[in-house]
Amino acid sequence: MRTSDPFSFFVNNLSLFGSKTVEHLVLSFAAMGIALAVSIPLGVWLGHLHRGSFLAINVSNVGRALPSLALISIGIAFLGIGTLNVIVALTILAGPVMMTNAYVAVDTVDPDAVQAAKAMGMMPLQVLWRVELPLAMPLIFAGIRTATVYVVATATLATFAGGGGLGDIIVNEPSYGTGGVIAGSLVITALTFATDAVLAGVQYAVTPSPLRKLGIRPRTDEAVLEPS
Amino acid sequence: MIKQYPGRTQPAVDDLSFTVEPGEICVLIGPSGCGKTTALKMVNRLISISGGDITIDGRSIRSLGLTDLRRGIGYVFQQIGLFPHMSIEANIGTVPRLMGWSKGRIRERAGELLELVGLDPEGDLKRYPGEFSGGQQQRIGVARAMAADPPIMLMDEPFGAIDPIARDRLQNDFLRLHKQVRKTIIFVTHDIDEAIKMGDKIAIMRAGKLVQLATADDLLANPADDFVASFVGEDRGLKRLRVRTLRDIELDPPVDGGAGASAYMDTSLHLALSRMLAEGTTRLDVMDEKSNEDAVVGSVRLDAITELIAPQQPTSPQDR
Amino acid sequence: MTPLPLVLAAGGGPVIPSFGKASNCVVQNGQFCSGWFFANWHAVFQPRLIEHIELTAIAVGVGMVIAFSAAILAYKQHWFETPFSLLAAFLYTIPSIALFEILVQITGINRFTAEVALVGYTLLILFRNTLTGLRGIPPSALEAAQAMGLTQTQSLFRVEIPLAMPAIMAGVRIATVTIISLATVAAYIGAGGLGEPIFDAIQTGFKTEFLATGVIIVALAIVADVLLVLLQRLLTPWAYRRRSA
Repeated sequence: MRTSDPFSFFVNNLSLFGSKTVEHLVLSFAAMGIALAVSIPLGVWLGHLHRGSFLAINVSNVGRALPSLALISIGIAFLGIGTLNVIVALTILAGPVMMTNAYVAVDTVDPDAVQAAKAMGMMPLQVLWRVELPLAMPLIFAGIRTATVYVVATATLATFAGGGGLGDIIVNEPSYGTGGVIAGSLVITALTFATDAVLAGVQYAVTPSPLRKLGIRPRTDEAVLEPS
Repeated sequence: MIKQYPGRTQPAVDDLSFTVEPGEICVLIGPSGCGKTTALKMVNRLISISGGDITIDGRSIRSLGLTDLRRGIGYVFQQIGLFPHMSIEANIGTVPRLMGWSKGRIRERAGELLELVGLDPEGDLKRYPGEFSGGQQQRIGVARAMAADPPIMLMDEPFGAIDPIARDRLQNDFLRLHKQVRKTIIFVTHDIDEAIKMGDKIAIMRAGKLVQLATADDLLANPADDFVASFVGEDRGLKRLRVRTLRDIELDPPVDGGAGASAYMDTSLHLALSRMLAEGTTRLDVMDEKSNEDAVVGSVRLDAITELIAPQQPTSPQDR
Repeated sequence: MTPLPLVLAAGGGPVIPSFGKASNCVVQNGQFCSGWFFANWHAVFQPRLIEHIELTAIAVGVGMVIAFSAAILAYKQHWFETPFSLLAAFLYTIPSIALFEILVQITGINRFTAEVALVGYTLLILFRNTLTGLRGIPPSALEAAQAMGLTQTQSLFRVEIPLAMPAIMAGVRIATVTIISLATVAAYIGAGGLGEPIFDAIQTGFKTEFLATGVIIVALAIVADVLLVLLQRLLTPWAYRRRSA
């Protein structure tokens, strides 16, 4: 139905938005799930061992440099049109950031606390589980938050690879009219912000309470670099 | 170049009033929080004066523009504060450049100063601060403060962050430098030994007030009250011996057969006493390294030294 | 409104555009037909590449001017930081296509719209990095500058900004790479650039075009990053010198 008014379009097409949003989130979480499962353990493990810093830090430089649509484009050449392509691309985009954050988070845990733990007779795995991870949680989670918001926003491009999601509405003016395009844009924007807000809440919940008073760092703090 | 110091900044500095003579090193010392750094920073108006005034050569510091005032005063402090992004030459040349000196003149001056502070003008001018040790950085800091040849220098615990051995060398080198370039210096420290070593005059402060202003020897011989006495240390008697050398004592003629132990003319009395105690003698042969062949020029008795610090009218040491 | 031509296929499959002689590779839609690629470099890829570089350079340049001024203002007047940060973060979070489409309603389908949006995306990174850089300078350097009689302006330009350069350059690096990525999508609203061949390929399904364009964009991003690292090293030699003795 073509119309110029985004709001009436939205109201009249709730089920469309519903299904597209679900598609969108499924895509995003699939990619996030895989990326999380690979990058966080890897980053944590390397940070715990304090090894591989060159790799861990530079992989995110590379990851950040990868243009999203270009990745999808390359993906189409090899994997064809469809959700698989998009999930692969999103995973590659999400992984590096989280890995680097996880690495830095565990690597820079207060060495005195770790030493005390070892001296008390904790085994390495216990040190990791009881001391390093809780202390590293805020930064690890900042990475997850950044990556998730990025993935949800970038999943909009899935439409170009036939992957579905809310992008379908935004790029389809012939079918949905200007109103639809605007409505779609507003919805995806709202979805992105909502994701960020929800994750901010989870970040708060996940931070050990004594550390909360230090303030939750906004996820975009991760964007600041030191020269290397 | 006389600096007059009537000042009042409640409550950090409370009615401080004294005069610093031109070419003199005046040390401000006292326990933490006594206001010594505050007083120092009032001179270049890093901290503002709430009552009273500071005059330089009779002119109030308030009458000068802030930038003119500061460009005419060298400032050296504990954290050094070299500009990491500038070469040594550019660091030293900061104020001259503001004054419009030509590049050539700045380079020449920087080289001159580096040599004066004991570094290598050839190699070091183009390097960056990060490439130097703490002690070296502070030497550069001193050179930078002297670049535009200001008549007055303020030094706030300048050697405080430097390891003791390097600090000792820095102090000696700085004193040597001061003999050449007679600037008026106000020097803040919390180390009484440094104060005694460096200061022509020492001003002891407490809770913002001036407690005693005297030469090192006077201070040690006649502390104004119990606070000063305990601040300078119970071994003040012995400390007085550090301030003088064998040159400051009338020597006895050399004894036949030698005294068994010896010392050079420029040895401090403190060291001379220490040597006699260690060797178990009461007499030292005194040698002068400036004459040929370490000739023995005289001898000194142990009690000649101890008499010097017995309670009497204080005598001022001759030139150290 | 997409200005891209629609090419309908008779049999329902992708149509292979016939750029002159259709080689075997092209007809079978292999992954990468080098012949076709090299034949079309000058006509298709080179101009788009140049457009893309222009798009990026303008966006980062303008963004730098705005963000830098804002950061200096925030550095001197603390209250300014929060409102500007919020605005910049807001712009940064909006997904690119969405922002493009919303802006199109106001300023039309053209390059200007794209540049406005792209500039918006640079602001957060450039602002944060510049401000963090300024706040990270060693207080001892500031104290020395003040005591030596530098005026506030002299101190700002001769000491504070130079010392913030490493962080500023890091921000420029991140912003540039981010914009290279986003500028790809900008082709959708008529901005030109390397996104265009991709959108063309979406219509035709021509794999070589997908692969070639994708690789060029990735290469561009990496080259830009490396060049900026070199520039950073050039501008701040002091940050890389260590004690020799």
